[in-house]
Amino acid sequence: MLSIKNLHASVEGKEILKGINLEIKAGEVHAIMGPNGSGKSTLSQVLAGNEAFEITEGEVTLNGENLLELETEERAREGIFLAFQYPVEIPGVSNLQFLRTAVNAMRHHKGEGEMNAAEFMKLAREVSRQVDLDPAFLKRGVNEGFSGGEKKRNEIMQALLLQPKLAILDETDSGLDIDALQVVSNGVNALRAKDRAILMVTHYQRLLNHIVPDYVHVLAGGRIVKSGGRELALELEERGYGWLGIKDDETADSPANASGSY
Amino acid sequence: MRPAPTLSTAFLHPAGGSLPEPLAALRKQQGSGLVDLPLPTRKTENWKYSSKYLKLTDDMAISLPAEGKSGSSLAVPGYKVVLLNGIMMPEASDYPDLDGITIERFEDLDSDTATWLAGRLDHALDSRSVQISRLNTARFEDGLLIRLKPGAVLDQPLFIVHETQADASGSAYPRIYVDAGANSQITLVEEYISGGSESVMVNTVTELNLGEGANVTSIRLNMEGENVQHIGATGVLQQRSSRFESHCVGFGGLLRRHDLQVRLEGEGAECKLNGVVVTQDKQHYDNHTTIEHVAARCNSEETYRNIAADQSHAIFNGRIHIHQDAQKSNANMNNKNLLLSNGAEIDTKPELEIYADDVKCAHGATIGQLDEISLFYLVSRGIGRREANVLLTMAFINELVEQIPVETVRETTQGRLNQFFEQTFQEA
Repeated sequence: MLSIKNLHASVEGKEILKGINLEIKAGEVHAIMGPNGSGKSTLSQVLAGNEAFEITEGEVTLNGENLLELETEERAREGIFLAFQYPVEIPGVSNLQFLRTAVNAMRHHKGEGEMNAAEFMKLAREVSRQVDLDPAFLKRGVNEGFSGGEKKRNEIMQALLLQPKLAILDETDSGLDIDALQVVSNGVNALRAKDRAILMVTHYQRLLNHIVPDYVHVLAGGRIVKSGGRELALELEERGYGWLGIKDDETADSPANASGSY
Repeated sequence: MRPAPTLSTAFLHPAGGSLPEPLAALRKQQGSGLVDLPLPTRKTENWKYSSKYLKLTDDMAISLPAEGKSGSSLAVPGYKVVLLNGIMMPEASDYPDLDGITIERFEDLDSDTATWLAGRLDHALDSRSVQISRLNTARFEDGLLIRLKPGAVLDQPLFIVHETQADASGSAYPRIYVDAGANSQITLVEEYISGGSESVMVNTVTELNLGEGANVTSIRLNMEGENVQHIGATGVLQQRSSRFESHCVGFGGLLRRHDLQVRLEGEGAECKLNGVVVTQDKQHYDNHTTIEHVAARCNSEETYRNIAADQSHAIFNGRIHIHQDAQKSNANMNNKNLLLSNGAEIDTKPELEIYADDVKCAHGATIGQLDEISLFYLVSRGIGRREANVLLTMAFINELVEQIPVETVRETTQGRLNQFFEQTFQEA
């Protein structure tokens, strides 16, 4: 489904991604782990089409189509979804209006008719319950005054509404307490499907206890330095990134040490 | 130093109309003073950004005739008075004969009422800061006096449609005076529209006197054409415990100037002033507001938003003056500005003068562009760039549009905004 070959990307002249290679097939769940500054978030942003990053080399295809030639909105319509690490607050645009506009943009792209306000409200209420978000949040400004956990649940709610082909979850577990983590994980697991792939980007392995990946990759210094199965994450938790010869700036927060602090 | 330029003598010719004697005398007296009226230049502080758009050429001195059929086809819920080139059109108007509420044209006033009115006109305005509005007092040919007896409540909004239609250049001078008795209530909608493409000036003055406990909502919607120079002044006097709410929505043009002056003269009075301005192309819009906290324990809340696209120019100048005896005043002023193009210009200036020591007074002004991160967030959900721009721009003023308490005005505003979005944001 997604094929990344020798991807290089920089921001403000500084190279962050230094040759990423990754193949993801439909139905698979991949986790990318790595210390802060390794390029995890950059990879997510680049795939979603953030123009702040410059692609200097390499190619990315989604089902054979050159992804890098598409505008952000076209990528989304082709099925790329990025759950933001820091969802943006947009006062003045109601969450409901935002979600309905997005869903209708997708439907329009697929040649389907728009959903009217009543139809959409019904759907949105159902999905908001699925992520345990009070439907009252639909009336508020997009993410406006939401807690960290509420923002993350709102991201997963969007994924459930938009039904992407590839869902990229950027640090979706950060800032969540145990209960919220459970809710968010249930939402993500509900997304798992034969024709859909999920790419999880995370610093810690704890999310992977709830959403079990098929493959785990370790990103360091802008490259994938090791790939393996689920057991690789457990090994990282056990031994820290240092085991792979990677310096983790946040040793105190490294997976092995941090797991008990939640 | 070169003397300031003065008004063309063409403006000194007597104005027409058949006003009752006391009003005609006031007009004449005001007219004789015009010969010394200095015209604003870019060195005139309150006109420094706008003087270059002001053109008071000789042909502007011609008063537009109240001829022709009104082109107004507004579906108005409630009561309606149409003024064509400043002159009331009874056949196009539809208002009730209500107990406690009288709506009269100046021409029809009896001598006592005209004397009473002549003694009050201009009192709600600071003549030094609305110098160009003095032309109105010298040249109005008709006007509307709206009086509410104590306790009278108008059950539906009263629309005053100010329409300008001209086959040739000239000026119109609409004049409104509202006297709202104690505890009376009225919602007034002033809508400014125009037809034709001749170079015209609309010089309009509205004064409102709110008695004790009166509750007045004033909505001003400026939808005039590109060709119109609009110079408007609104003066408000507020007695004890009265409440005034203002919603000004304006779209730009050749020259748009509105001075809104509120004097909180009685204890416990409060005012809320909202404003939305949208400009595009080479349009202009200049809002000057003044809130005078004269008495103690008054509240004022002011929120203005400007959106400027293309090479347009928007100006906001908000002055709050808290007098020495106005203890326990509460004043809040906020002005946010959105630039949609590198060629657009916005000038904003909050002015606070505080002479009392026990007051709460806050102000804030910002100028910015649409937020790139918010835009990325929206398009990353498949929303088109054009639509995302519209959502974010609308988000900037949504709160103020939603607060307009008359549905048709909100709809008219939204319709005009959609037109603006259509012209400003193209699909990528």
